[in-house]
Amino acid sequence: MISGYLDGLGMVLQLGTLLAIAGGTLLGIIMGALPGLTSAMAIALLLPVTFGMPPVMGIGMLLGALCGAGASGSIPAILLNIPGTPSSVATTFDGFPMAQKGEAGRALGLAIVASFFGGVASMVILSLLAPPIAEFALRFGAAEYFSLSIFGLVIIASVAGKSLLKGLIAGLIGFFASTIGTDPITGVGRFTFDQLSLLTGINLLPALIGLFAVSQVLKDAFEYDPHQRLEESTHRIDIARPRFLETLRHWKAVVAGILSGSIVGPIPGAGGSIASLVAYDQTRRFSKSPEKFGTGHAPGIVSVESANNALLGGALIPTLALGIPGEAATAVLLGGLMIQGITPGPLLFDDQSGTVYGIFLAYLVANVFMLLIMCLGIKLFIRVLMVPRKQLLSAILVFCFIGVYGVDGDVFNLYLMLGFGVLGYFLNRYDFGTAPVILGLILGPIAESNLRRGLQAFQGDWTPFFTRPISLTFLVIAVGLLALTLWQNYRGNRRTESNASS
Amino acid sequence: MKKLLSTLTLAAAMVVGGPVLADDYPTKSIDMIVPFSAGGGNDTFVRALQPLLEKQLGEDLVIRNIPGGGGAVGMSRAVASKADGYTLLAASNAMLTLEAMGNVPFKHTDFDFIAKVIEEPYVIAVGGDSQYANLEDLVNAATSGTTIKVGVSGVGSSAHIAAVAMANRTGAEFNIIPYPGGSEAISAAMGGHVDAVVLGGAELRSALQSGRLKALAMSYAERSDSLPDVPTFQEQGYDLTLTVWRGIAAPKGLPADVEKRWVEAIKQIVADGSYEETAKNLGTQVSPLYGDELDAFIDQSADVMREAAGDLAK
Amino acid sequence: MERDIGKPVFDLLLLIASAAAFAGAMALPDIEIVGDLSPAFFPKLISAMIFLFAIPCLVKDVREWRAAAPSDGSQPANRRGVMQWLWIVGLTVVYILLFEPLGYIPSTTVFAFCCVIGLLFASGAWRELNASQRVKSLVGAVIFAIVLAVAIYYVFTNLFEIPLPD
Repeated sequence: MISGYLDGLGMVLQLGTLLAIAGGTLLGIIMGALPGLTSAMAIALLLPVTFGMPPVMGIGMLLGALCGAGASGSIPAILLNIPGTPSSVATTFDGFPMAQKGEAGRALGLAIVASFFGGVASMVILSLLAPPIAEFALRFGAAEYFSLSIFGLVIIASVAGKSLLKGLIAGLIGFFASTIGTDPITGVGRFTFDQLSLLTGINLLPALIGLFAVSQVLKDAFEYDPHQRLEESTHRIDIARPRFLETLRHWKAVVAGILSGSIVGPIPGAGGSIASLVAYDQTRRFSKSPEKFGTGHAPGIVSVESANNALLGGALIPTLALGIPGEAATAVLLGGLMIQGITPGPLLFDDQSGTVYGIFLAYLVANVFMLLIMCLGIKLFIRVLMVPRKQLLSAILVFCFIGVYGVDGDVFNLYLMLGFGVLGYFLNRYDFGTAPVILGLILGPIAESNLRRGLQAFQGDWTPFFTRPISLTFLVIAVGLLALTLWQNYRGNRRTESNASS
Repeated sequence: MKKLLSTLTLAAAMVVGGPVLADDYPTKSIDMIVPFSAGGGNDTFVRALQPLLEKQLGEDLVIRNIPGGGGAVGMSRAVASKADGYTLLAASNAMLTLEAMGNVPFKHTDFDFIAKVIEEPYVIAVGGDSQYANLEDLVNAATSGTTIKVGVSGVGSSAHIAAVAMANRTGAEFNIIPYPGGSEAISAAMGGHVDAVVLGGAELRSALQSGRLKALAMSYAERSDSLPDVPTFQEQGYDLTLTVWRGIAAPKGLPADVEKRWVEAIKQIVADGSYEETAKNLGTQVSPLYGDELDAFIDQSADVMREAAGDLAK
Repeated sequence: MERDIGKPVFDLLLLIASAAAFAGAMALPDIEIVGDLSPAFFPKLISAMIFLFAIPCLVKDVREWRAAAPSDGSQPANRRGVMQWLWIVGLTVVYILLFEPLGYIPSTTVFAFCCVIGLLFASGAWRELNASQRVKSLVGAVIFAIVLAVAIYYVFTNLFEIPLPD
């Protein structure tokens, strides 16, 4: 193994390879920071470039794009309350409030360092534990996926705003929206209104951009005050620097992020979007001051961002160890591996040629480049906030259009985006919140299709959902957390009532 | 971008623009519609071909992923675009499946097919440690009262239709369980959550190579080089021949000289063997077909699909 | 507390929408697969739950609305906000409509220009400007709109190969 790493090191430490990784990382950072452009698009764009390269160089470039995009999604989330991907939704919870307090630089500094820690830790886990973790992921059948999604839905309680009931309604709205389209089990069209664009259901991206970016633009438009001049803006550039020590002080949040990224991330199809939310939820639940979350609390940012890059390593586990990509970005990456003649699977990890170690090291190097480029760029990113409001609003909308249209060139999705924007505006205004909608939209189809797929496989028998150990564990945890939330909520209400009456 | 980056990374050799012929077509970049999201078989097929085609044609090929409706959205976009050779479609049997299922507003006759480039078989596979050693075991079990759960990718997908066709031809009754995509179906089979999967050979390639899954039969007429040990349905006595093919199509009315230019380009790529290795790595094989032969092949495939889809409706 | 009629109205709309969704779910075809719940099961369940949960919200919000004092002098700011909000929504619809027919650069230029200038008008800031400031704002908005549209177009189509309508 040592000699494998030495061989791998030899492949990575070449000028061409390093430049390729740096180039991939830079492109990933740029595309990840633009709302709507995804790491999958960055990798797909680079794929043809890598054909002529040696494997470690080509794959390293693609991994750089993956790593860069995973980290830079935090930039718009923090500065503008716009998550470019589902996994940076949770970054907005504390990142944006902190930025509004004038500490955008601090939020970015925390996010960058946390991403780096998450990425490096996940690379270590990937290289040491990939085969057993992949075996674990294989034990997820319909029952386990269903229970996982129920566990995930409980997170709604954590991200709901002032009213638990309204947060729940928002989650259900997302869940309902997820049933639109071709039914995954029978193939019947549901609420498609003969719209070709609705056949595959509501696209996550227009919903995400609408609910967060457009609704935020509408809120800003409503509150726009021409007399509020720019010089009043309190954003301080001098505090914009990477924050190693502060991040380390929140080591518990970093660990929570790494764990959930590495455990939930490898579960194909479900992990990528919810790992960071799970991290946020757990950090908040086990925090001594849960009430500070959502107001610009550092552990909130740190846990989410470390999870965000840890889950990339997590997602690489089934991709490399089983040849099963969890979502779009790793699916494109898998294509890149196969074109290079690298066949993923358990054998890859026994391979003595050093290629696989070269890939691990390339991923490590990508994380270092990510850290360097983001640190160099941090002061630049903050300047986005110096753009006058009117211009910024229109520029944000223009970028939203590109992101949504660029995915599949479908004008229908632009209407969808605007519709979700208006809906999101009112949901925020009347205390429902938009994050639960996204959770419902992501977890809804996992819950529904796996419940029904399971029932079909078990011939209508419900008991396996409760007797299979992993499934039962998730259900018990979910019920426990729900009970805890209701209890805390009840006590909280009692307290405010008694305060009010006294 | 591509050129810029490759220069940056000192790997320009592969991607530098090839000799530009003094021809009318193409004079600007060409859009290639991939009616699926990035990372699927269709997408990888075209992206692997992209630099080679760009070299031959001397213009950029811009790949547009337009997923949705199992390919329906992208294909209807292609049908509706101008037949000037600047909007093309990465075609596959998904088009024929959609047509056979009968809920799309276009037919394969609305397209001009330029070339078939690669193909792969449908494969039925079971877990590596499955009790079913061969197709006969599986069919026997299924016909003697055991419920055989068979995972496929997507309800109404071509793999779904192929699975139904297999069930009907072998007389076995399968409990067909649709998964959102091939990788979910494969992981379900690896984890023992389904008894078997029916998918294209390329998607199954790494799982078969690692021994995680075991192929019982494949749907070519004869054995293939890519899976030499896997018997065909035909040789096991079942009349079933299906292929997954991928190629390039254009909206109806493509000018003859444009088609000729493309056919020449693809012929050149096939002849110099530059795509061979890539196709093999992807678990597919290069099996080019052009012109009238291609049209006949497409018509015949459409018939097979229509028949199989009829089975699904039963 | 501010008196906002929108809150109970939104709850009411939710009630109506969920009832309509339930009715729509009733109309879904029933396809029997052994063991499977029908495709209509979840849509029905979810819309019924939204309906049930929206009732207490409505009751609570109506109560709060009644209890709150009628709103005071913040009216003009509010009206300005509504104007600005409607302007952005309307403009976005027009932008979507023109996006493909007009092509990316022209539609984006028009949109960005109207967005900036429209906010000046809707907010009432325009009236406070003198002639030379007005010219300056107009020219500034034109330059901003053109630079934004053209720069983005070339970066995205050439560098990122994201196809935009021409």
